[in-house]
Amino acid sequence: MKVVTLRSDALAESEPLSGKPASAMIHIDRVSQRFQTSGRQSHLALSDISLTIDDGAFVSILGPSGCGKSTLLYIVGGFVSPSDGVARVKGKAITGPGPDRGPVFQEFALFPWKNVLGNVMYGLRQQGVKHSEAEAKSRKLLEMVGLKGYENFYPKELSGGMKQRVAIARTLAYNPAVLLMDEPFGALDAHTRTRLQNDLLNIWERDRKTVLFVTHSVEEAVFLSDKVVVMTRSPGRIKVVVDIDLPRPRKRAELLLDARYQKYVVDIEKLIDDTGEDEIHA
Amino acid sequence: MSATVNKALLGITPIALFIALWQSLISFGYAPVTLLPPPGAVFLRLGQQLFTSDFLHEIAATLFRLFAGFAIAVVLGVVIGLAAAISPAINAVVKPVVRVLAPIPKVALYPALLLILGFDHASKITLVAADALFPILLSTYYGASMVEQKLIWSAMAAGTPRAQILFKVVLPAAMPSILTGCRIGLVISCIVVFLAEMITSTDGLGHMLVQAARTFQTVDMFVPLITISMLGLILNSLLHGLRTYLLRGFPEV
Repeated sequence: MKVVTLRSDALAESEPLSGKPASAMIHIDRVSQRFQTSGRQSHLALSDISLTIDDGAFVSILGPSGCGKSTLLYIVGGFVSPSDGVARVKGKAITGPGPDRGPVFQEFALFPWKNVLGNVMYGLRQQGVKHSEAEAKSRKLLEMVGLKGYENFYPKELSGGMKQRVAIARTLAYNPAVLLMDEPFGALDAHTRTRLQNDLLNIWERDRKTVLFVTHSVEEAVFLSDKVVVMTRSPGRIKVVVDIDLPRPRKRAELLLDARYQKYVVDIEKLIDDTGEDEIHA
Repeated sequence: MSATVNKALLGITPIALFIALWQSLISFGYAPVTLLPPPGAVFLRLGQQLFTSDFLHEIAATLFRLFAGFAIAVVLGVVIGLAAAISPAINAVVKPVVRVLAPIPKVALYPALLLILGFDHASKITLVAADALFPILLSTYYGASMVEQKLIWSAMAAGTPRAQILFKVVLPAAMPSILTGCRIGLVISCIVVFLAEMITSTDGLGHMLVQAARTFQTVDMFVPLITISMLGLILNSLLHGLRTYLLRGFPEV
């Protein structure tokens, strides 16, 4: 059995995932991003990125800080437009944010002037859902993320882990086809992080939304993903796309003892170390 | 509960000390009673006058000018501040104007305002508004400029059209700064309305003070002073209550 599938990044064509018909949800086509820095300098944050993400796939983007992985996510979100190239969702070029792509940020970005219920209801109300209906649906979602009883709390009264649960519920509420998660568990302690990873996987198993997940934790990426995209820094490029061929549903306790899981982690860590050398030569 | 009581006691202590110092200046003969009336006499006079229609008329005149000027300053300050924060073009126009006008002592404009707007309410209201405007405008501008980008992105992804972001995200997110500006603006309004009435007026607390001073009614001179400071205290605590309610979800600032 092939344990690690390493592929050239030039055309990371996707293969059908087992049990799901392959259809591209996100297609990133030769995207580059250049930022103006002070003076007349410009910094190439992303260089010629091409990537196809299948419908229902859980894909992580892994790389050192400053490799442009968040920028790539923002481009898919429509928050930032690329300097070059085009990103598409369901075949349509992305021109701005939309409720088909729901972001979850490391900083939670909850509305401080709304309570927990109000935050979760926000998207539904924006979609024109009636108040009573939006409330009922939001309460159900809060129960699903384990926050029943906290509806009337304000975000400042919650712990980091609870805030991120609210943020996830707020995004799931308007039922986006794609979840864009930008280091969502990066600000949490190890224990909370593990619990949220497990819960996220459970939620994902139910409706298998497409997830684009940015992280700098190799273990997290391997544990959660179908594919791990390893990026290099300065300029940000895709180094390899690693298929994670581990059975689902995944149980953390079993996986940590699984030699295949361990090998993925070690191999990808090596790849990232090589990335560091590239950076020194550059 | 006892913590709140302690806090209140701590707050009252300096005021009590101040009144004690005031009394001791007279008791130990540093100031003659004819020039500096004892606090007891002032508070007694205040108590006697408080519910007379004449005195209430003076308070009403002052409060009307104060509220009108402050309200104009809040509306203009918030609207211009928000507009400058979201539109670079408006900011380019507003910034130099603010930089030129903000440092001018607005009271220097008062003679001109009197000539243009007359001796009645309008000139005083305008002066109050002109002075209270800038702190409100500037804090609105900074508050609205520093709204976390990801709040805006979250709202846009949830389907909020760009045009509604201002009212659905920027305004509520900037509320802590806006209210801080309002608090400063309110204190300034109290000072300026009194000042304007002292310079030229036929009624109001500032006018009362000047009238009393000109006729050496020293007790009557201190009554409006105590009154405006108490009004300021009451208005400030009302605003504080509003702030606590509006910012109930925000981390303590």
